[in-house]
Amino acid sequence: MIISHNKSISSNLLYTIVLLPVLLLLVLPVLNIVVLTFFGTNFPESIASINRDLFLLLLKSLAVSGIVALISTFIGIVLGFSLYKSDIKYRNVFRLLILIPLFISPYILAVAWKDISVLIFDYNTSIFEKTYSFFGMILVHSTIYSPLSILIIGSALSNISKQMEESALLMGSFKDMFFKILLPLIRPSIITSFVLILIFSISEFSVPAFLGFRVFTTEIFTQFSAFYNHNLAMLQSLLLIFICVILLVSERKRISDSVFLSIGTRGREVKLYSSKKIVVFSYIILSFAVVFTVFIPVSILVYQSFKTGTSKFMEAIFLLLPTIGNSVLLAVIGSIISVFIGFVAAYYSEILNKKLMNMMLLVLFAIPSTIFGIALIKFYNNSLLNFIYSSFGILIIGYVGKYSFISAKLIGNSIKQMPKSMEEAAVIQWIGFFKRIQKIVIPLVLPAIFASFIINFLFCFGDLGTSIMVYPPGTEIMPIKVFTIMANATESLTSSMALIVFLVTILLVSLLFFIFKKIIAKYNVNY
Amino acid sequence: MKRTSIIILLFTIMLAISCEQNSNSIVVYTTVDQVFSEPVLKEFEKKTGIKVKAVYDTEETKSTGILNRLIAEKDNPQCDVFWSGDPLRTAVLKNKNILYPYTSKAAKGIDNVFKDKDNFWTGFSARARVLIYNKKLLKDNDVPQSVFDLTDEKYKAKVAIANPLFGTTTFHLAALFSVIGDERAKSFLENLKANDLVIASSNGDVKRRVVKGEVYCGLTDTDDANEAIKEGANIGVVFLDQKGIGSLIMPNTVSLIKKAKISDNAKKLFDYLLSEDTEIALAKSCAQMPLHNGVKLPDGVLSLDNIKPMNIDYNKTAGKLESIQEYLKAWVERK
Repeated sequence: MIISHNKSISSNLLYTIVLLPVLLLLVLPVLNIVVLTFFGTNFPESIASINRDLFLLLLKSLAVSGIVALISTFIGIVLGFSLYKSDIKYRNVFRLLILIPLFISPYILAVAWKDISVLIFDYNTSIFEKTYSFFGMILVHSTIYSPLSILIIGSALSNISKQMEESALLMGSFKDMFFKILLPLIRPSIITSFVLILIFSISEFSVPAFLGFRVFTTEIFTQFSAFYNHNLAMLQSLLLIFICVILLVSERKRISDSVFLSIGTRGREVKLYSSKKIVVFSYIILSFAVVFTVFIPVSILVYQSFKTGTSKFMEAIFLLLPTIGNSVLLAVIGSIISVFIGFVAAYYSEILNKKLMNMMLLVLFAIPSTIFGIALIKFYNNSLLNFIYSSFGILIIGYVGKYSFISAKLIGNSIKQMPKSMEEAAVIQWIGFFKRIQKIVIPLVLPAIFASFIINFLFCFGDLGTSIMVYPPGTEIMPIKVFTIMANATESLTSSMALIVFLVTILLVSLLFFIFKKIIAKYNVNY
Repeated sequence: MKRTSIIILLFTIMLAISCEQNSNSIVVYTTVDQVFSEPVLKEFEKKTGIKVKAVYDTEETKSTGILNRLIAEKDNPQCDVFWSGDPLRTAVLKNKNILYPYTSKAAKGIDNVFKDKDNFWTGFSARARVLIYNKKLLKDNDVPQSVFDLTDEKYKAKVAIANPLFGTTTFHLAALFSVIGDERAKSFLENLKANDLVIASSNGDVKRRVVKGEVYCGLTDTDDANEAIKEGANIGVVFLDQKGIGSLIMPNTVSLIKKAKISDNAKKLFDYLLSEDTEIALAKSCAQMPLHNGVKLPDGVLSLDNIKPMNIDYNKTAGKLESIQEYLKAWVERK
């Protein structure tokens, strides 16, 4: 439903104030590089290189990422149900533990799993070498992206009406209820999980590169780093962006009217299953997941860090300490701006049917990080905008461009679930636009705002792809320091640094959870 | 309102701090691993009082960051000095008209073979391509002594090299093509492929595989080998083809970036990197071989005088690379 009274000067003003910087600071650099690509001198050569083999490679990448998305989404359904619908103890501890793979760099996980696999399997055959890269990529990507699926599907499961489930259980068995009621109700979130993970997986470069598995992103990377052919790399990236946009648009069309994801249940009663079978199954499956995706890789890191004593760990602390302040501050600023833009884009898209900004954020999200970095350099590196390019401002622009869509998506889905009657009542009372946003909309979507802040923070804090292209000379941020040091550092120093990043992230996320819990509690009292 | 003000204030402070211009500073981009390059740059800061603002590159991105950044920044260069780990990347920049020629007095003691004929780059401290092998898995008699031995069936699926599209492996293969000719080099690579050669993601990955015993041996650089030995790995190091074509020697290179005004500080850093002090520091930290004659070597570091180098022209080798890159890509991608 569209609230017609909202078409006021204030509402248009806010939209314009946010849309203009998004357009000028984020979208224009990308348009600039697209124009440069199409009018570049070697465009005819580049277009001739887009051949059948390239499309086959794109299909192969889609197929592999599709498998990753299927596995991750399946894990999301099973673990999401165990975490959000079964009556188990220590649910919150499990929820935090299960998110841990999101905090570890894909590259480091790939190295850890390779070491583990070599220990377990017989590597004295070339079959291991040839098959590991394929299975390794599926394993590592599924491990990394399953937590996202658990979050998306788990949230949808939390929002199913208890009455509906209970009525279904009165009419039939648990199995019937699960397959005929629960699964169809969370179908939109299953589709979202599948599509988002497919996009994340198909855009990720470091894992296939480490495992020597040729996919579309490694091809783009080769054009960049071996041939320095920006034009062809950009054209190839446009193909990837096109696929991602098609996927996201079709997902949006398919589930545009569905309520599927929100963070927090706002007092809605959640049906928890306490039958022994379900609880035991949940414990087993969750314990297995924690051991497999968290305990084993983290143990490897701990072992490698301390096998020669504590000196390397101390050295890693000494190396990373100067980077923590900058990294946290930049990630916090980037996340605040991303959440603000995401909120505005989501609100106008869902309530006022203005979808332009949301669409722009979607396209920016789908652009490979390196390409986005090059776009920023080409646009900002001139005497007029040098004050941005040579400052931390460029990093914040990079973060906001890459990750605002995540906020728009999460907050948008929460806005979809907002009871419209409250805002309508306020409109009838002639309460102004900004007052309504401040007193009605924000409190209602506050949990989603905080959740998207945390997820954005995680992505900004760990960003490497765009940051490495634009970070100002003489500055240090944590992910870049880790990766530039680990190039020729000892195994124990590399593991120590990965472990420190992991511990700092856990600490910060826990701190953010604690702060947000307090704020939400305060809002609920006042509201 | 209060919160918004705090955010705006924080943002402004950040921008103000980062925009602070220090006239007595210099911007250097380096593809040399940070663990080795940073101490040298810090020492330069200490000695001259000139602040060095560095951009380092990463293993994961295989120097994509810096090279592409320099290319993308061409019209408004931010960088003053480019310090490369090998002459090949520098040659790419030279061909793209990004470098500025400079002849340093500090390069006096360095052989002309390690300098660009047009003075766009000057070489210093060199690494070499070596074979490392796992001492547990290979007996002394079985250790290959020539790169061409690696096609022997007894090493089937037990030899690793890094992806030849990136890093110093590119350089190594381009040098081989230059020295033995295209036909012989291609035949050698086909035989390697037929022998189930393992293509690792990087030189570091080659080192890791040899140390862990996944393969018997692999081609890598002396600094990787040195690091493995420092970590206590049970590996041996061989300078290949000492009775044949010789080992590839890869000097670091330093270049000035072409911009409206070349600062004196840039030239000071250029000169400092070519100094004997730098060569000694790099010899100590990563066993790089000094190119100046008569530099006192730390224990365990070989002198160039003791190695038979591969006889190549670095500029021509860079040119050769361009002509074989498509072939190398197809070779890597072939099953």
